[in-house]
Amino acid sequence: MANTDTFSGYHPTVNFIYFALVLFFGMIFMHPACLAIALFGSVAYAVRLKGRRAAGFGVKFILPVVLLAVVINPAFNHAGETILLYLSNGNPITKESIAYGFAAGAMLAAVLMWFYCGTEVLSSDKFVYIFGRVSPALALILSMTLRFVPKFKRQMELTRQARRSVGCDTANGSVLRRTKNAITVLSGMITWSLENAIDTADSMKSRGYGLAHRSSFSIYRFDRRDRLMLAWLLLCGGVILLAAFTGGLSWRYFPNIRGALSPVTICALAAYLALCLTPTIIDLREEQRWKSLISKA
Amino acid sequence: MKKFLCLLFCFVMLFSATGCDNFLAANENILQGSVDLPEDGIVPESTVQQIKDENAVAVFCGQSGAYRYEWTVFGSDIAEVKALNLGLDIDNAENGIYIDLHAAESFCFAPVLSVYLDTQWDCQTATVYKSDEKTPLCSASVTGEKTSILNFAVTEVMPNLLITPDELPATPAPTASGSSTGSDRVVSDGKQTEQDKYKTDPVPAGKPMPVEPEDTTVDKRTKYTCTFSIECSTILNNLDMLDPDKLDAVPSDGIILPAQTVTFYEGESVYDVLKRICAEKGIHMEASFTPMYNSAYVEGIHNLYEFDCGQASGWMYRVDGWYPNYGCSRYQLKQGETVEWRYTCAYGDDIGGGYAMGSD
Repeated sequence: MANTDTFSGYHPTVNFIYFALVLFFGMIFMHPACLAIALFGSVAYAVRLKGRRAAGFGVKFILPVVLLAVVINPAFNHAGETILLYLSNGNPITKESIAYGFAAGAMLAAVLMWFYCGTEVLSSDKFVYIFGRVSPALALILSMTLRFVPKFKRQMELTRQARRSVGCDTANGSVLRRTKNAITVLSGMITWSLENAIDTADSMKSRGYGLAHRSSFSIYRFDRRDRLMLAWLLLCGGVILLAAFTGGLSWRYFPNIRGALSPVTICALAAYLALCLTPTIIDLREEQRWKSLISKA
Repeated sequence: MKKFLCLLFCFVMLFSATGCDNFLAANENILQGSVDLPEDGIVPESTVQQIKDENAVAVFCGQSGAYRYEWTVFGSDIAEVKALNLGLDIDNAENGIYIDLHAAESFCFAPVLSVYLDTQWDCQTATVYKSDEKTPLCSASVTGEKTSILNFAVTEVMPNLLITPDELPATPAPTASGSSTGSDRVVSDGKQTEQDKYKTDPVPAGKPMPVEPEDTTVDKRTKYTCTFSIECSTILNNLDMLDPDKLDAVPSDGIILPAQTVTFYEGESVYDVLKRICAEKGIHMEASFTPMYNSAYVEGIHNLYEFDCGQASGWMYRVDGWYPNYGCSRYQLKQGETVEWRYTCAYGDDIGGGYAMGSD
């Protein structure tokens, strides 16, 4: 598992707490500034992690979801005091519901982007490491499920190619023929996955899974760097939570758009921005340091 | 680390359990809750200034003999900051009550006075007369479940106001169908015992039967007029139940559309007229067609939705003093009828329409 960025090299607990924080905040704050910060932070980190592929993911998967939210909300939610126009059934389209649609879309996009980054950083071995001691069964199931997806994809590609080489392509021919061929591939895949499950179970049993006192190897150390990072995350999280509890991040869309903008809000937004950009910034700094070391040599 | 994760988990649970609810509390227009008036009934200037500054809604409670009264003051209404003398005496009149305001000078705005009677007035509106007991000053809405509550905006300060209940609108005697009224309306004979196919209980004798919207044609050549109004004054008596975000949507006198004469066309239903009037006046209104009742269901008017003021709240309509027990798309309007849309916080019991919702 090659750690491409600096933050992935931190202790899994720190990684996990970071993503728990940004996902949690990303899902509950409807303040437009918070949404903008979360979106910016998650996209910046995704680009940092995966480069151009992140942009492709954003355009192909996230943009349609966001557009759907933006269109669907005003069509079904008619609350709000600023009426722009009327639908044919007599219900109004309001400025507030459009604004809410955009906010919901931004929230969805940010959360999806965070998950995209999270799967990259929190690899399944880290996951098993974190939860292995709290709930071994859950960690095992999770890691097996997560492992199964790429395995299944690879086997499917193999089967498809094998079928293609004997002329049973899923890309050519009539719709009926293509469907028939695809079903053959799928049926083969189901057989394979059942067989694979039995194989896995046998293999794990022979490796001593399920026995008491079975230990597992991990190379993670919780050192000073991780302690500092953890303290920083908790500080940011604490400031944001405190502001949220005192209403500093409240925002409402109905019946009229109103929200908080006070010194508390500014503080919380600054903390939130810092939190969201933390991995990107430490990675950039590390890269700079690396480059300067090279040039000196 | 395990301990730490457990701690974090507890923290997250605690926050989601307690925080999410109050987190989105609006900070624009806040309800200060009800405060007891001081003995002399005078609200000091500092309090008035505070209400205005915070753009708050404050309720001041007082007691005069057997009667309790409440003043609802909207911070956004206060034009001039000065001490308010909200004290008053209430006395029984021959038919109604006297209200003797202690205030000597005008309030410069119109706070709403709610008087909680100890009896039930058999009426739906009441008239407020000036001191001479002849000149009507304004109209008061009558709400309340067991005992009546009178609500009216005090636009003019004067001693000894007289409030008397209005006569109930005379119910036109049920006439045999096809009689002199000239209308083709089918009136219930009260003999029906079963629900109809749209789950409508038997319509009381003398009341119009529902007319299915798909069976009617609107004739734009024949114009009629009716009286139309929309009000939500009962919310002012239940502000503690109101969704705090919706305070901004409540008019300070509870009247969204004052009673006025509007034109409609032959064959139009109450819903058709509501839809047109709201669009004309720029009043927000949302409705959805409910096939089970074959009628539009009005979810919200003026951004006040069902369930915004408690679990039993929503919109009801009344035509000539009667709350029909079927949907507003099935009530075909006739010339000269009075349509009132009223918000209820108690399944209609507080606005005298509990029977339409099936309560006794």
